[in-house]
Amino acid sequence: MNYPFWDEPMGYGVLMAVIAVFHVFVSHFAIGGGLYMVVSERIARKAGDTKRLKFIEKLSKFFVLVTLVAGALTGVGIWFVIGLINPAATEALIHNYVWGWATEWTFFVVEIASAILYFYGWKRMAARDHMIIGWIYFVFAWLSLVVINGIITFMLTPGQWLATGDFWDGFFNPTYWPSLVMRTGVCGMLAGLYALLVASRIEPGDFKARMVRYSAGWGIVGLVVTAVCEYWYWKAIPAAVVEKALQIMPTPIHSIEYSVWLAMGIGALLVVFGVLAPRKLSSPAAALLMVLGLVWFGCFEWFRESIRKPYVITGYMYGNGVELAKADRYKKEGYLAQLAFKTGDDGADLFRHACRSCHTLDGYKALKPAFDGTDRAFIAAIIRSAHLLRGNMPQFLGKPEEAEKIADYLYQRMDKRPLDEVYGLQGVELGRKAYALRCGKCHVLGAASDKSKSFAGQSADDLNSMLNAAADMGEGMPAYTGGAKERAGLVAFLEQLGKGVKK
Amino acid sequence: MNLPDYEFLSAPLWLVTVLHLLTFTLHLVAMNFLLGGVIIVLHAAVRRRWDDPTLAKFARLFPSATAATVTLGVAPLLFLQLVFPRQMYSAAAVSGWFWMGVIAAVITAYYALYRAAFKAQATGKVSKLALAVALIGLLYVSLVYSSVFSMAEQPDQIHNLYARNQTGLVWNPAAGDYALRWLHMVLGAVTVGGFFVGLIGRDNAEVFATGKTFFVGGMVAAAMAGMAYLLSLQAWLSAFMRTPAISALGVGILLSLGSLHFFFKKKFWPAGAMLFVSMLTMVFARHTVRLLKLAPQFDPATWRIAPQWSPFLMFLVCFVVMLAVLVWMLRMFFGSKKSAA
Repeated sequence: MNYPFWDEPMGYGVLMAVIAVFHVFVSHFAIGGGLYMVVSERIARKAGDTKRLKFIEKLSKFFVLVTLVAGALTGVGIWFVIGLINPAATEALIHNYVWGWATEWTFFVVEIASAILYFYGWKRMAARDHMIIGWIYFVFAWLSLVVINGIITFMLTPGQWLATGDFWDGFFNPTYWPSLVMRTGVCGMLAGLYALLVASRIEPGDFKARMVRYSAGWGIVGLVVTAVCEYWYWKAIPAAVVEKALQIMPTPIHSIEYSVWLAMGIGALLVVFGVLAPRKLSSPAAALLMVLGLVWFGCFEWFRESIRKPYVITGYMYGNGVELAKADRYKKEGYLAQLAFKTGDDGADLFRHACRSCHTLDGYKALKPAFDGTDRAFIAAIIRSAHLLRGNMPQFLGKPEEAEKIADYLYQRMDKRPLDEVYGLQGVELGRKAYALRCGKCHVLGAASDKSKSFAGQSADDLNSMLNAAADMGEGMPAYTGGAKERAGLVAFLEQLGKGVKK
Repeated sequence: MNLPDYEFLSAPLWLVTVLHLLTFTLHLVAMNFLLGGVIIVLHAAVRRRWDDPTLAKFARLFPSATAATVTLGVAPLLFLQLVFPRQMYSAAAVSGWFWMGVIAAVITAYYALYRAAFKAQATGKVSKLALAVALIGLLYVSLVYSSVFSMAEQPDQIHNLYARNQTGLVWNPAAGDYALRWLHMVLGAVTVGGFFVGLIGRDNAEVFATGKTFFVGGMVAAAMAGMAYLLSLQAWLSAFMRTPAISALGVGILLSLGSLHFFFKKKFWPAGAMLFVSMLTMVFARHTVRLLKLAPQFDPATWRIAPQWSPFLMFLVCFVVMLAVLVWMLRMFFGSKKSAA
């Protein structure tokens, strides 16, 4: 905790996603597009197809404007933003992989220079020389992926590095190869999607049909490679991580499910517009494909980022920047003692450094909806048992009194009215809400730790007794501290669950 | 728990420092051409000093100069973060929004310069508005960098500012610390921009004269601002005078004058080489000031050194390949002739 905390309102997850998803969408196109252009140029020149050459030249202008400016700058932007939102992890990555990054920089320099020369070379270079520059561009762009892929995959699956600390052990980690081949497939797919966007604006006719069909072919081949490798990638993730995700982490699982549906949608549209009716590809349809591609990639990246929770570097550093190696020191000396930057408000400082890198009060992963209408004791209990909750949170490593300080800070910012007043609910519906807030953080109906069957045949008195004894049940269960109305509603809801009624 | 430690440098400090200073100087060359060039060309366009084809010729160069500036800026930032992560990230975090604004500003400036270049290509005229927008973006970046990197040299100030405001909307209030530094940097850019304008326009008397005016005028003004900045260092000045940096700075000033001499004779290779080494000495002086200011709290020599020689070798080989491929591509680009067919 050597750094100040940038307390911006939108939430680090959103900020990172906005920049990173856009960047990866462009940067993968930057690689695949390079291959698309030089291969297409070769085909066109061999066939003496001047129309196709003109099309590729036009595409290269679009390519330069998108990749050199927005692509390259958002890449730098990711670097800027990770230094702000997780400086400890960035420091760890740079110290371990500075020569990886420096190597990637050498490829980046050649990539940018060759892209510029390729673009300006249309008017002045001999065909053979121009294509050589194109090949250089593609090779160096792909090599930059070869390097950066090692660092990205390291964060999810550091493998033997955790034991050896060796550069190469971390670099060639368990998900390195599936990720590299998959991302290469993505490059090809995105090259097809971008080219379709440009091709959709060609005058209707045979040439348009030819270019649409050709570009859709790139998309389909890339999609098939991607789909196969996505499965390979999934299988390369350690089984324990996957199993835990399937049990208690809805975000990555939903993300990967959505990505599969979106991939099928993209595939269907590519077949319909690219193969069956290429003449009918309109700009809105091509734009829709681009949007689907962007959302698909976003889902995959969201999955990759969220499945490694609660870590930012699996098995090494939590998302809030706490190193596992220092966990004992945190427990012994307390969280506050580790903070190099303080504001004088201990509760706020603790909240920022322990929780705020994932949660906001009322924005992304908001805490207000989770705690409005509850009470201070409940909030404190949840903080102490954070690692037991659904969603795979890191353990709170501070002292008990520090958890109390965070609870104080949060409770002051919550709606303190009783739950029934906050949500305007009564009876079973109030109970359902109370269950969601107080019980559902661990016991998800129909999923992880569903205890509804254990309520079968229990009377209201039995259920009241169970609530009274909640704190004694162990496993971090908090005491039940809700008011009388809320309790009555909850008991009614639990009775319903016992009878098998869940909706 | 026995996990790998990341608090180390994976190469000797001197090696990282050499790479940092060298790549930063290369970045400055590109940046100065870009910033100084835009200022000079915009000035020429507003004052109608040059004809349209000449303005257009320069406007077409700026997007590539931006690409070079950005690309060459990555490496020094990487080495800076390697050695000074806590100072740098901390300063950036308290000015978080301004820091992130750099990306938006560069993207805006970049697209504006492409707009100017494409318009110049298509119509033969330069867009003053596009150049002005780009200039505003570039000046914003320079101001934020001066503010943040100046703050990074004063950890106590970061602690105080953070205690008062955590929203990332803190602008370095100690303008005295960086105003002269920023001015020196902008005037330095005008100086180097003047050199490049003279070089590129060497066959056009009017353009060469403009380049010469900005090269000489910029150098005099930058020297004055630099001197004023040195004097503003106050307590650190006497310590600075006892370092090798003061000798390097002296050599740098002499080389700048030598560069002017050869520039007047239109001998651009020795002029450029002298100018580059002169910039290198100033970068070294700047680095020395940073070390002096940080000395009470942090000495980079305290980093544990745990070399990673095989990854370093990979970098070195790729660096050499990069240089070779760049030279080869440029020779091919300028030597290649498109056939009539």
